[in-house]
Amino acid sequence: MVDVPAPDSFTVSVEGPWIVRLRRLFDVSRKVLSNPTTLVGLMIIIALLALAALAPLLTTPNVPDAYQMPRDWGVRDAPPGTPDHLLGTTSTGGDVFYGVLWGARTSLRLSVIVVGITVTVGTIVGSLAGFIGGKLDEILMRAVDVLLAIPELIFALAIAAVLGPSFGNIIFALAVVFWVKYARIIRGQIIHVKQNEYVDAARVTGDSKFNIYRKDVLPNSITPVMVQATLDMGGIVLTAATLSFIGLAEAGLAEWGVLVSDGQAGISAGKWWASTFPGLMIFLWALAFNLVGDGMRDVLDPRTEGR
Amino acid sequence: MTIPVSAPQDTMTTTPPLVATVQDLRVYFKTKAGLVHAVDGVSFDIRDRETLGLVGETGSGKSVTARSFLRLIQSPPGVYAGGRILFWSDEARRTGAEPVDLLTIPRHQLLDVRGNRIAMIFQDPGKALNPALTIREQVAEVFYQHRSEELLEGAYGDASLLIRRAAGQRTRLAERLLLRLPPLRQQATKLRRRVDDHVAAALNETQIANPRKIMDSYPHELSGGMKQRVMIAQALACNPDLLIADEPTTALDVTIQAKILELIRQLQERHQAAVLYISHDLSLVRQISDRVAVMYAGRIAETGRTEDIFHEPLHPYTRGLMAAVPSAGHTRGRLAAIEGTVPELVDPPASCRFHTRCPHAVALCGAIDPELLLVGPAGHQVACLAYNTPDQLGVDPSALPDLSRRTR
Amino acid sequence: MTTLSVETRGGSDRREGIPVMTVRRVRKHFPIKEGAMQRVVGQVRAVDGVSLDIRRGETVGLVGESGCGKTTLGRCISGLLTPTHGGIYFRISDEQESELDRVLAVADDARTAADRRFLAELDSEHRIDTMNSKARHVYRRNCQVVFQDAFSSLNPRQLVKDIVARPLRVYREASGPELTERVVDLLDSVGLGRQHLYRYPHQFSGGQRQRISIARALALDPEFIVLDEPTSALDVSVQAQILNVLHELQREWGLTYLFISHDLGVVRLMADRIAVMYLGQVVEQGTATELFEHPLHPYTEALLAANPDIHADPSHRIQGLEGTVPDPANPPQGCRFHTRCPVATPLCGWEVDDAVAWLSDSRDLPDTLSGVERHSDFEATLAFDDEASAAAVGSRLASDEVPAAMAAALAEVEVDLGQVRIRFTERQPMELQEVEDGHLSACILHTDQS
Repeated sequence: MVDVPAPDSFTVSVEGPWIVRLRRLFDVSRKVLSNPTTLVGLMIIIALLALAALAPLLTTPNVPDAYQMPRDWGVRDAPPGTPDHLLGTTSTGGDVFYGVLWGARTSLRLSVIVVGITVTVGTIVGSLAGFIGGKLDEILMRAVDVLLAIPELIFALAIAAVLGPSFGNIIFALAVVFWVKYARIIRGQIIHVKQNEYVDAARVTGDSKFNIYRKDVLPNSITPVMVQATLDMGGIVLTAATLSFIGLAEAGLAEWGVLVSDGQAGISAGKWWASTFPGLMIFLWALAFNLVGDGMRDVLDPRTEGR
Repeated sequence: MTIPVSAPQDTMTTTPPLVATVQDLRVYFKTKAGLVHAVDGVSFDIRDRETLGLVGETGSGKSVTARSFLRLIQSPPGVYAGGRILFWSDEARRTGAEPVDLLTIPRHQLLDVRGNRIAMIFQDPGKALNPALTIREQVAEVFYQHRSEELLEGAYGDASLLIRRAAGQRTRLAERLLLRLPPLRQQATKLRRRVDDHVAAALNETQIANPRKIMDSYPHELSGGMKQRVMIAQALACNPDLLIADEPTTALDVTIQAKILELIRQLQERHQAAVLYISHDLSLVRQISDRVAVMYAGRIAETGRTEDIFHEPLHPYTRGLMAAVPSAGHTRGRLAAIEGTVPELVDPPASCRFHTRCPHAVALCGAIDPELLLVGPAGHQVACLAYNTPDQLGVDPSALPDLSRRTR
Repeated sequence: MTTLSVETRGGSDRREGIPVMTVRRVRKHFPIKEGAMQRVVGQVRAVDGVSLDIRRGETVGLVGESGCGKTTLGRCISGLLTPTHGGIYFRISDEQESELDRVLAVADDARTAADRRFLAELDSEHRIDTMNSKARHVYRRNCQVVFQDAFSSLNPRQLVKDIVARPLRVYREASGPELTERVVDLLDSVGLGRQHLYRYPHQFSGGQRQRISIARALALDPEFIVLDEPTSALDVSVQAQILNVLHELQREWGLTYLFISHDLGVVRLMADRIAVMYLGQVVEQGTATELFEHPLHPYTEALLAANPDIHADPSHRIQGLEGTVPDPANPPQGCRFHTRCPVATPLCGWEVDDAVAWLSDSRDLPDTLSGVERHSDFEATLAFDDEASAAAVGSRLASDEVPAAMAAALAEVEVDLGQVRIRFTERQPMELQEVEDGHLSACILHTDQS
């Protein structure tokens, strides 16, 4: 046969494919988490998710819809430390602790839905533009350019205002506005990845265009999208809180932005807790996802990935 | 008993004086896997008006060695772990002064050497030229840095201000207003014109057809060969004593490469400089070098006059490498390839680095670091145990490798 | 599968073996777009009229420097690019090839109905950009590629096993454990092993990655492989290993290679016949021995002269070429090499651009030039701001300092007030013609180019 080269130092192993794949995932995760700030961010996220998960266990609603703040006219404006009300109550008697926990659930629902929709839609549009190219690319990208020229917050605000104050409408507005940047991100990545010779090799092998997209192009283009999605998990909540703060959500919703808004009036009178704790939650949520997203970005830079 | 390591300077009266000598250079890199011994005890001499070709494949340490001359290695993760690089400038040789150790001289002295006494040209001219500067601005930098007194000859007023402004460095608003005044303005214009003349002259030397036209261009507007000429012009602008060329023609077509090599040869003669030419291409090195040093895995395997090395390669690696180069002399068929790959250089044990691939290796080769020995005329040295006598190592004659016998 | 042994071919210029690839008058042009509306302002003529035969069992070497079009031609032949003109035919017979040549020599409007039917049939069965799906299936299975860059030719997210198994999966040749075994066999034949199956590409060295690439190319037992600079990015010792692997495989598997490289030494080692390309065209073609021992075209000679050869006489100094490669969007008329050719003649196709370039390089083109009006490639009027400049330029062009060949081709220099009109003798583009048995050249010094 042919010359067999001397054995290399790192390849004598007969592990199965899945172990190898898992090991790689493990290695990447470890690299991401080796950064202390990323680790802190992740821990905060876990804590927040725990709060959201435990909300039904730790608190009880006293109105039919659990996502509405409870009303207890008897204990309005109670300061933190009051028995049964760890963080105090609002001017309508709602338990701030309740608001914090159920607000976490609301935020989680919100961010998962919005990020889910925006990533999917953005990826589809960007993939069509980048992979197929030509006229389709031009048309889609002009549309994207136009949409991106509108400031996201204003755009979402306009849509939500037109549709009427409701949290569902906020979700809708955010989904409509925030998908656009994903299209551009993935289109750019796809165009870059397409130039690699392994894509040519797949074409020469005779594989179908869809398979080439699925196996070669998409997996190698997706990392910036993942990073952006993580960052958006934080940013979406922030934006939603802003919109509900201005009054575009229904009143009395167990949502941090609404709570901050409701509690605003009381601050000058010294009743700081109704706004501060929810505000703090918004801050922590956004901070945590930003830390993790940045940590991912450093490690998952496609140019240095896997080297 | 000591074994002679470097070519004695007094063998022949016609031996040109030393420009630089590398003594036991060690450069290591800290990595997660450990300490990589990229350059592991390298010694060689560069003599006046001579071209030394430093040949090696990937991982041989040739680039790191070259960059160490100007301390260009990034300091984490690189570490200058030992050895010296002694350098005699023209002036030092004339006045009989002591050489300086490039690895330890203070920074301001190093900056004086860089671009001025020792110049370097790189592999990819596209990456080595600043894309935001015109050719004029790029080459002028060298003059501002090292030839400011000459340029300011006959100038009055705040000379440093003129230079700084012309070189595009920061100036305070008050200073800029000052420059607008007629006397200083005149000076500034005169200075600019003088610099332009210098730049044009430098470009002219590299046989660029229309220097004034090129001076206004940006690097991306020029071809590869042209960019390389600009880089050479910039390097030779201050008449350096040593030119280090790190694979300058690898990115060029073979017909352009030949012209650039010709140019380097001519300019070397005109400027009476020494050249350290790094390459992975043996056939190229044969064309351009007076002496050759073959590197493998961080060490020198063999060094000597070009013709001696190519006529009679002594080290098994050199022999293997030459047999592996396809040339027009070959016809259809196989090449004699060297088996295996370059070993990992992380915390390597004492051994000949080539022994895992050497067709003549014996047990001893994996246990001792071979020293560079003077074996042939005109400084032909090899680092292979086969050339040691049993007494030198204190072993039985049968323990030494025998190059007439293959062990694999 | 009948294989013709390599030995019978060395040095012989009779082409044995049936045709595998027949390339006829292929052009590949890339549009240059400018402006917000992306208007097409020109064409980069990467491949500009190439005809070539590749026959079973042989290795055809394609040599040239950067920008000559060899990679583009390789991509056209492997089906990655569609030619702008001309055709590439897969597996036509000797008779079909002769007939094709005959029909192509006839002008389009003079072809008979039978001719057209013949062409249409060939297009549907054999021409790679127009073939029917059944023929395409066969072509794709039998034409594979090994690329230059070992890093970017393997998907960094796939395991070696998946990479090499992919062709087998696409054509549903095998699955499950049988598939794994076939992959192991392929890895064996390139000098790798079972232990490499479940690793990612980045864990291998450059040479090993190329071996994986080769294993992938062999998966479907193809007839023909295009090797696009497969060892250019590798160290010398690794290159030798890979070239040996390729050589062995060709013998054992009966492969036909198109070997693209800029390295003459490597091509000499690997190829039976060689085509030298310059600026989109083949300038010389012949057996490896002929080309190296009796090169005809001045460009081939220049390449050989510039090539540092380790075993050559040490006193032989390599020589370069003046000038640079002309703009592929605007190649010279006549012979494309004449702007740099050391032995150019007056009949090589001198044109306006040459005169302007010469004036510019010798710094005799004054800044007062206000415009150049081109009537054709060979005739133009240079307008100057003042008469003095025009007169100076005019006399310069008429002087002895103009290179002899260009001067002889310069039919007219007329100064009229502030304008200078120049006219060169018109020439046609050069054609590749047979000089000796199997040895072709496109140079006027050897062929009749009237």
